[in-house]
Amino acid sequence: MRDTRRARLVLGLLLATALVLMTVDHRAGVGSPLGALRGASSSVFGTVERAGAAVIRPFGDLWRTVTDAPRAQDLLGDLRAENERLKGQLAAQRLDRERSEELRRLLGLAGTAQYKIVTAQVIARRGTPGFEDAAEIDAGTADGVRVDMTVLNGQGLVGRVVRAGTSTSTVVLLSDPALSAGARLEGGNEIGVVNGVGEEGGLVRFRLLDSTAPLTAGARVVSFGSQNGSPYVPGVPIGVIERVEATPGELTRTAYARPYADLSALDVVGVVVAGPPRDPRDAVLPPRPKKPVERGTGTPAQKQAARGEERAAADGSTGGVLTPPAAPSGTGEPPAARGRERGPGGYPGRDTGRGTGRGTGRDTGRGTGGWDRSYETPGFGGPAARDESRGQAPVREPVRGRDPVVRGEGVYDGGRWPANGPYSAPGGDAGPSRGTSDWGGAPGGYDGEYGYEEGNGE
Amino acid sequence: MIVAGLLLAAMFLQVIVVNRLPLPWEAGPDLVLLVVVGCALFRTAVQGAVIGFLAGLVVDVMPPSAHPVGQYALVLCAVGFAAGRAGERGLPQVPVVIGCAVGAPLLALCVGALLGDPRVSLSSLAVTLPAAMAYNLVAAPVVVWTVVRLLGERPVRRRRLGFAVRSRT
Repeated sequence: MRDTRRARLVLGLLLATALVLMTVDHRAGVGSPLGALRGASSSVFGTVERAGAAVIRPFGDLWRTVTDAPRAQDLLGDLRAENERLKGQLAAQRLDRERSEELRRLLGLAGTAQYKIVTAQVIARRGTPGFEDAAEIDAGTADGVRVDMTVLNGQGLVGRVVRAGTSTSTVVLLSDPALSAGARLEGGNEIGVVNGVGEEGGLVRFRLLDSTAPLTAGARVVSFGSQNGSPYVPGVPIGVIERVEATPGELTRTAYARPYADLSALDVVGVVVAGPPRDPRDAVLPPRPKKPVERGTGTPAQKQAARGEERAAADGSTGGVLTPPAAPSGTGEPPAARGRERGPGGYPGRDTGRGTGRGTGRDTGRGTGGWDRSYETPGFGGPAARDESRGQAPVREPVRGRDPVVRGEGVYDGGRWPANGPYSAPGGDAGPSRGTSDWGGAPGGYDGEYGYEEGNGE
Repeated sequence: MIVAGLLLAAMFLQVIVVNRLPLPWEAGPDLVLLVVVGCALFRTAVQGAVIGFLAGLVVDVMPPSAHPVGQYALVLCAVGFAAGRAGERGLPQVPVVIGCAVGAPLLALCVGALLGDPRVSLSSLAVTLPAAMAYNLVAAPVVVWTVVRLLGERPVRRRRLGFAVRSRT
């Protein structure tokens, strides 16, 4: 059949052509002469395909939506669950980070001041504005917490323990009107009482016992300390004076301070189970901060620590300040710290004796009064002392001077010692004064001071 | 003309729609093959071979292609010839279409194997090949029927082998 033969011939030719094409293309690889053909076709067909794909895509998506629907439900569920889990983790992490930061600050503060603390967490809170303001913490007698211990956090004073259970304790916060704590203005001997005032936007009232003492917004307040550090250990930052109320003719000056501790958002707190030891040298303590810290000095140091070195920045002598007191006293730092306060105290002799022109008298009055009974005292002994001190406008200056005093030994001593010097030097002078004052001062003017401090010591 | 249009439509449908459907077993019906078969069934073997060759050549150079030019041309050429010859001889169409639908993937695989195509492996033999055959068989009735409807019952064989067909029926 001719037709069939021709057909076979055509078929054979076509197949051969295809084979040749294949071979050429396969062998030549990338540089194939058919590359041009491919390129041309791809530009033509590619365009059409793109247009076609654009038309088809919605259908494809629809198709996929339909076919994926069952799986998508599961996927959605899984993703939701995972999302919840991750959210929870994130929140927990944030909480943990905040807590760790709180703890770090708390430890920093406690280490600087050499308090021994038990950390605890606020687990419940009761607050009626203007009335009760208390918190429950998750540490109790089992952890060494006792009634009338100071509670603080990384920023400052929080309150004190009023009831200690086995594993939980109740803390009355600084903002509770029923709580009052002895406080002292930074860098001076001016003392006062801090107590809560329900409302007032989280402020606490600070009553300065000496109405003539300079008191301006921005001054910082630290705890004065109580006998045996109970209920308040000395030197805990309390707050910053925010506004001073004009109270002409009153015995006390009233100011409002913003507490360092955010009392409305308490989480991690520390209970001071042991105040700074009498003689830090015997005690096993956390590593000391770079400068020797004395009890009294602890305050400034602490303050610095807590608040940053504004002060240090202000005058570089800070560091030196603290140390020097120790040096003179030789015996121990406590004297230095107290020395400052008592420095005035030393005068007290004077004060008691005569209330000589020196404002110191006032100081002493307070120093003495406040010193031991510190926190209650302000209320009691305070007034008397105050009265005496009142007249002493001149004194103020010295007081002022004290700021520097606190910081620089030179200043401090300079300010006072010269003053004392005269007094003490006379011996007789000093003698009488001391005689008058109960705390039988040691013979020496200065030494007397120290000795007496030691005698009184805590 | 109609044949060319049909083939082009089939090619685009193939690359735009069918190959993108997420069908199981990674295979799909070969529309071009089925259209070539449908066309060749009503033409002579030579015409079928030529149609198949040209269609295969176009498919070979159409953009998403990673095989040597000519591979598909060879396969479709052979299939077109076979279908045309079967039509000429008046063989029953259904077995012919089935044979083509099953044989073409096998032939393509063989040609690939001849060229040392790494894609020809045991798994492709075991899974993809049967899947492709099955899809071809599934799609064949629809496609071939459509082609036949569009082309009409072509006269060539009818005229030539009309008596035979009539006598057989």
